[in-house]
Amino acid sequence: MAAGAGQEKLLAPALLGFFVYNPRLGPREGEEEKKILFYYPNEVEKNEKIRSVGLCEAIVQFTRTFSPTKPAKSLHTQKNRQFFNEPEENFWMVMVFPCTGLVQKIVFALFLKHFFILQDKVYSSVLQQCYNMYKLFNGTFQKAMEDGGSRVLKERLEKFFHRYLQTLHLQSCDLLDVFCGISFFPLDKMTYLKIQSFINRMEESLSIVKYTVFLYNDQLIWSGLEQDDMRILYKYLTTSLFPRHIEPELAGRDSPIHAEIPGNLQHYGRFLTGPLNLNDPEAKCRFPKIFVNTETAYEELHLIVYKAMSAAVCFMIDTSVQPTLEFCRKLDSIVGPQLTVLASDICEQYNINKRISGSEKEPQFKFIYFNHMNLAEKSTIHMRRTPSISLTSVHPDLMKILGDINSDFTRVDDDEEIIVKAMSDYWIVGKKSDQRELYVILNQKNANLIEVNEEVKKLCATQFNNIFFLD
Amino acid sequence: MAADVYKQKNEDVPNGSLVPPDRQHAERSESPTPGLAQGTEPGAGQEGAMFVHAKSYEDLTGADNQDVIPRSPYQTEGAQDELTKMEEISKDFSELSTQLTGIALDLEEEIRQNEEDKLDLSPQASRRDSVLSGEEEEDVTMETWRMHQKHVFVLSEAGKPVYSRYGSEEALSSTMGVMMALVSFLEAEKNAIRSIHADGYKVVFVRRSPLVLVAVAKTRQSEQEIAQELLYIYYQIVSLLTWTQLNRIFQQKQNYDLRRLLAGSERITNNLIDLMARDPSFLMGAARCLPMPAGIRDAVSSCLQQAKAKSLVFAILLSKNQLVSLVRKKDQFLHPIDLHLLFNLISSSSSFREGEAWTPICLPKFNSSGFFHAHISYLEQNTDLCLVLISTDREDFFTVSDCKRKFQERLKKRGVYHALLEALHTPFYSASQVGIPELRHFIYKSKSSGLFTSPEIDVPYITEEEKERLLGLYQYLHSRAHNSSRPLHNIYYTGPNENLLAWVTSAFELYVCFSPLGTKATALTAVNKLMKWIRKEEDQLFILSPQTY
Repeated sequence: MAAGAGQEKLLAPALLGFFVYNPRLGPREGEEEKKILFYYPNEVEKNEKIRSVGLCEAIVQFTRTFSPTKPAKSLHTQKNRQFFNEPEENFWMVMVFPCTGLVQKIVFALFLKHFFILQDKVYSSVLQQCYNMYKLFNGTFQKAMEDGGSRVLKERLEKFFHRYLQTLHLQSCDLLDVFCGISFFPLDKMTYLKIQSFINRMEESLSIVKYTVFLYNDQLIWSGLEQDDMRILYKYLTTSLFPRHIEPELAGRDSPIHAEIPGNLQHYGRFLTGPLNLNDPEAKCRFPKIFVNTETAYEELHLIVYKAMSAAVCFMIDTSVQPTLEFCRKLDSIVGPQLTVLASDICEQYNINKRISGSEKEPQFKFIYFNHMNLAEKSTIHMRRTPSISLTSVHPDLMKILGDINSDFTRVDDDEEIIVKAMSDYWIVGKKSDQRELYVILNQKNANLIEVNEEVKKLCATQFNNIFFLD
Repeated sequence: MAADVYKQKNEDVPNGSLVPPDRQHAERSESPTPGLAQGTEPGAGQEGAMFVHAKSYEDLTGADNQDVIPRSPYQTEGAQDELTKMEEISKDFSELSTQLTGIALDLEEEIRQNEEDKLDLSPQASRRDSVLSGEEEEDVTMETWRMHQKHVFVLSEAGKPVYSRYGSEEALSSTMGVMMALVSFLEAEKNAIRSIHADGYKVVFVRRSPLVLVAVAKTRQSEQEIAQELLYIYYQIVSLLTWTQLNRIFQQKQNYDLRRLLAGSERITNNLIDLMARDPSFLMGAARCLPMPAGIRDAVSSCLQQAKAKSLVFAILLSKNQLVSLVRKKDQFLHPIDLHLLFNLISSSSSFREGEAWTPICLPKFNSSGFFHAHISYLEQNTDLCLVLISTDREDFFTVSDCKRKFQERLKKRGVYHALLEALHTPFYSASQVGIPELRHFIYKSKSSGLFTSPEIDVPYITEEEKERLLGLYQYLHSRAHNSSRPLHNIYYTGPNENLLAWVTSAFELYVCFSPLGTKATALTAVNKLMKWIRKEEDQLFILSPQTY
């Protein structure tokens, strides 16, 4: 099953280009360069940049002939694919990928015979994510223009994307990037209430906290943010911030915790953002700034992430208030001990639940579930999410078939179900019901349609017993 | 074509059973299984195929140079032992092409000539058409123009409009100029534009020098399918001019207005586009046979075979886009695309009913560099039986016309004419004849014979929209099954209005539509029953013993 991993690396699409432009900024001939707000790779000659941007403008303008409100989203050429996105009025973001990566060079004749491997929806979603991530940390393009014109916007784009583009792991993008969902931690009512009461107490004692988010094991339990803001914050936490702190944590378990910081032995709590050492009077209390509700209130917040064992809490404070070292110490002394206790409670409860339900043997199938209403996603295909690799346990071609099915589903509003048998003898089932989508991969060569159907019914009964799927 | 032949051999090898062409009926298995070897599936011809093996999609990425060197079919398919005959025919061809060279040298002369040909072909039709195109002009800035399901544009490399499905070419000349600008912009970077994707529609570009074809489609079709349709339109234009002539024209005058040469042919192209949205033949890359008792078909075929002439290459008897019989010169194979173009030509004009037509026609997949001469006529004015006799000799009208007369005489003498007319009364069978209550409709294609069968589209698919929707679902399953990087064997689709099943093996393709009440279990038993039924009825539904000259 994992045999495809090496091969996939070979086919990894490299980013050929990424640019942001606004056609209104240089409408006159000879001023085209002014339109370009960001261009990667920057080494490209000026005229080349202008040509690339000009092509995008032309394509978008051309498609407006046929649909004034829904212009082009992607362009396929023999050599590459470009994706267009207009996240804010007149601001365009474009990403360019080569068609098939290395395949083209290695077996040129073969390449000619093949249609393309990149999946449109996946990379359109990646492009949208780029914007969302930018917006989370920088606010809107429009705001930057108001703050100081295109000079400020250019600086912000440069600062953000210079690093961000290197962290994009394009080879491991798949259906989960299309959903960009949130994985929820399954919990019994009692523990859930404990967490709820913990959050209430914390918000009471730390009155400047505006919003709180609670996660366990990289899965969400409680969020005070709007769904769309939570979705991108969740992406940041689980694919960037948390993985960066995994290593020190693992090391910390064997040695006495926080040995270098005496007087802190009562609890396991520590800051993932902000001060590293609370006893150091010189410690800087600088937290990342994030922007939420940009459509309405346009709030700018400090993001404080605090973690004890597997439990993490995010506290968000309005930027009009500057958190002091005093405040950080107070937070550490209140939240630290309680969160440590809570984390071990959750862990205990979780293990009990697992023992009860975990008696059955390894199932014959793997699945991805997504609910568009609450953004809940669940995948047994992905083993874990890290910034560098997304480990999937199935062949990349199967993942692409899932992607094909998903894009077919989005073309119509009706409920649909599709069962296919791929050339590799795997059965794949896609179900769409209301706002929910379920994809199952079965490794049963000799099963027939009826048996496959029975397996999926069983899965729905155990995992999603109160969800109706078309039969 | 060389590629096709090569492909065919290649595909046969993994099957491990290169079935001898004259295999016995007893070898044909009763209940088909996925392991069925190509050539033994229901509908496989006993005497070998009539057609060139066609792939589901033409190789669109690699085919840009395909037509650059037009190959004579005799180079690839000519048998060694018939060399003398072949030489004769290729001499005919070279004469034909020298004639063409002479014609094309003087463009003005050439246009006049072509217009004469057109007038021969359908004098009333072309006049009627020019009137119609005046009425049909549509305001291209209007919302209604944008609402069309599928736009098709053809332009020359100079950006000059050649054809537009909706709206006048004049009004669209700037839009087509932009299309050409996009094409050349990317070509300047040694790249090539393929398609543009947006929410709810796709723009697909196909480049076949000296033409550019563009479709803007709101359908559920894949990019490959739309590109395939554009290729059909390209071949349609080639069939009127030949590839050689088309190129020569633009070599001499780059900004030549091709509409002058193609005047009157818009209706043929319009009809082709409409037909592709309704008739599964194009999707399947195969031909459908008119169902009739095998004995009668064989008698008709042998009558047709006996009415031969030296210059005849193909004789085709058809009724409303369904094949009744096809006789070909030994070792000469027709490509399904060429046959579809002939069907389209005949169905787009009623003037063939009015007498015998003798028209130059190029069969682009057979030989894109030269003209054949087609004798097209209906057996009787009030039947749908149309006879097409394809000859290599421009001067042979009377000989070929005599063949038709001989064929008709033989039919009557052997007493099969009446039975043939009888079969025309039931040009379609009903899906209910199979005896499966949940079965609404199906398409079954035998890959080795290039033939398919399909019942009448019946309740609840009554309106044109519903029929096109059903074909759209088949197109959807077909494109998923034939996705070149991720092909699928089996698909079972459950939608709100029907359930569909697709089954693709190396020997056959089956697409079945069930009522939404059917379960997967009933679908599986139904498919087995259906395959047995097709096997039982195969001699009625297919041409199993095609004739050759």
